[in-house]
Amino acid sequence: MKRPDVPHIMRQGRLIPWFYLLPALAILTIYVVYPTVRTFYVSLRNEDSSGWAGDTCNDDETCFGVLENYHKVFTEDTAGAKNVTSLYNTARWLVIVVPGTVILGLLFAMITDRVRYTAAAKAIIFMPMAISFVGAALIWGFVYDSDEKVGLLNAFLVRLGFDARNWLGLAPPSGTFLLTVIAVWVWTGFTMTLLAAAIKSIPGEVIEASRVDGANEFQLFFRIILPQIMPTVAVVMTTMTINTLKMFDIVWVMGGRDTDVIATRMVSELTESRDFGMAAAIAVVLILLTIPVMVYNVRRFTIEEARR
Amino acid sequence: MNLIIAWIIFGTLVGSVGTYLLYDERKRNAEQGALLGAAVGAVGNLVLLVPLWVYTFMRGEGEGDQPVIGRDPIQPRHFIRVALYAFLILMMIVYLLPVYTVLMTSLKPRAEADDLDTVWNLPSEIEWDDLEIGSFSIRMPVGYATALEEFGPQLKNSLLLTVTATILSALMGSLNGYVLAKWKIPGANVLFPLMLFGMFIPYQSILIPLFQFLNDVNLGGTLYGLIMAHVVYGLPITTLIFRNYYAEVPTEMLEAGAIDGAGFFGIYRRIVFPLSLPGFVVVIIWQFTQIWNEFLFAVTISNEDSKPITVGLAELSGGEAVNWTLPMAGAILAALPTLLVYIVLGRYFIRGLLAGSVKG
Repeated sequence: MKRPDVPHIMRQGRLIPWFYLLPALAILTIYVVYPTVRTFYVSLRNEDSSGWAGDTCNDDETCFGVLENYHKVFTEDTAGAKNVTSLYNTARWLVIVVPGTVILGLLFAMITDRVRYTAAAKAIIFMPMAISFVGAALIWGFVYDSDEKVGLLNAFLVRLGFDARNWLGLAPPSGTFLLTVIAVWVWTGFTMTLLAAAIKSIPGEVIEASRVDGANEFQLFFRIILPQIMPTVAVVMTTMTINTLKMFDIVWVMGGRDTDVIATRMVSELTESRDFGMAAAIAVVLILLTIPVMVYNVRRFTIEEARR
Repeated sequence: MNLIIAWIIFGTLVGSVGTYLLYDERKRNAEQGALLGAAVGAVGNLVLLVPLWVYTFMRGEGEGDQPVIGRDPIQPRHFIRVALYAFLILMMIVYLLPVYTVLMTSLKPRAEADDLDTVWNLPSEIEWDDLEIGSFSIRMPVGYATALEEFGPQLKNSLLLTVTATILSALMGSLNGYVLAKWKIPGANVLFPLMLFGMFIPYQSILIPLFQFLNDVNLGGTLYGLIMAHVVYGLPITTLIFRNYYAEVPTEMLEAGAIDGAGFFGIYRRIVFPLSLPGFVVVIIWQFTQIWNEFLFAVTISNEDSKPITVGLAELSGGEAVNWTLPMAGAILAALPTLLVYIVLGRYFIRGLLAGSVKG
């Protein structure tokens, strides 16, 4: 973090800059560091943080003491709360949305790099990013209306001679798959924009040279382009992983209990059951899942900064 | 440039002529005539102006004004190219189809909105309704009038929340960015990664303490609590964007200011701040769209009186939607501000996005 370009005169006040940074620094500590630590603490307490999580355990049941909330997160799957299902659903989201958006984004980025006059196509594919997820969920609610007589998807199928069906009422995992489609619709524009920028920055000579050497389109993509844009692909994948893990809006607006993911389970514990301990335990699971990805992202950022 | 101005004037003229002609023809029903004329005028303007917009957008792409380094595409053979265009057009239709039907449904009369066979069609007629705002009364399609009546307070909350939080976080971010970019401070290498963590961290990890804290200080459920949350958690990204922006400002300029006797804040106010307009544009657009569209804080922190539009919309979809006209009109009203920002200032929008994920 050496800044050789900082002139002597700017180094005079060693304390004054700190003074101006102080509000931001204090705010970050108070609002980011402390709450995160506190979330860990609350996750070990009972529902209103008045005692430890294991205090209310019955003697005849297995009890994990202070870790009782975590025990529940990984086991309890009753009619009221489907914790395990929500963990599986988050896994389904990751498996579909991260590769889905990256591969589709790559495809669009490659195509728009190949032909001229693609600004309009890019603008339209990026457009859902400007709409809120709540809005997107409403729009897609119309596509998958639960009434068999309404809905865009049904209208389309009927036109083609198939039967209309109640899409959101199908057997459990299918609801999750339908919701991931919305997320892919929204986020592909994001991945496309980042990947297209990376592809554009590959010098034309490199591609020309490989053409002269007789490489076909597939060899060109896998041997030349992909290795060159790998850093950006990694960025996009990590960002999408974080985005998917904390996905909340679409599922909250459209889903029922069968489509719950970690993030929606946490908010229902917080606002509906008012069980702070459980909500915090779910949040901690979410934090632990995102931390490896976050550390990777922060390190990459810092390395890039050092190069500036 | 002259061409563009001429084109805009021409487009407006044609639109206005259309408006006038229609108005003239429909004199018997002046009100409807004027509305229809205005609609035709607007369409006329759009038809003339949209190609222009696309043209300038594409020209801008090559000028290096975008964060992307321009390079002409290396085009494949003819038939592959046709196939690629066909695929792109198909994808554009797939992307626009939901939006098109939403727009149509929002304009349709109630009875027509739920009919499977006419989902694709234009509305057969537009039902009008008067919306009373104070002593004014505005005529608009019935879905929009109902939506505005229903969501009016929430749209107001959203506007208040978004504008206040955006301005506050942009100003604070600018000051922070200045310090981080131009002043050598011991420990900056700790502060910077910490800030990045603040940017990447899922809000869920701080939500519970925030919720408890706001309740403890009696801000739970108020708009102030929500504004505070958005200012605080917007700071990392605004600081980062400004920091990268100020890194490009030549240090000599600040030095000159220092020699002239300006202090820390004097340099900021007289030299850095006046240079900051492009940075502010990027940051304000980014924050505006993020906060307007945000849902997690909104749904947990707000209450009945302070809920923003996203929460109102979400509640609407909770009940079994009997009629789609209202939700669709609401979705369009809620999406309009950010969509307009994207259409008019898309370039800056994408720049903010790049700053937030790859690098400035």
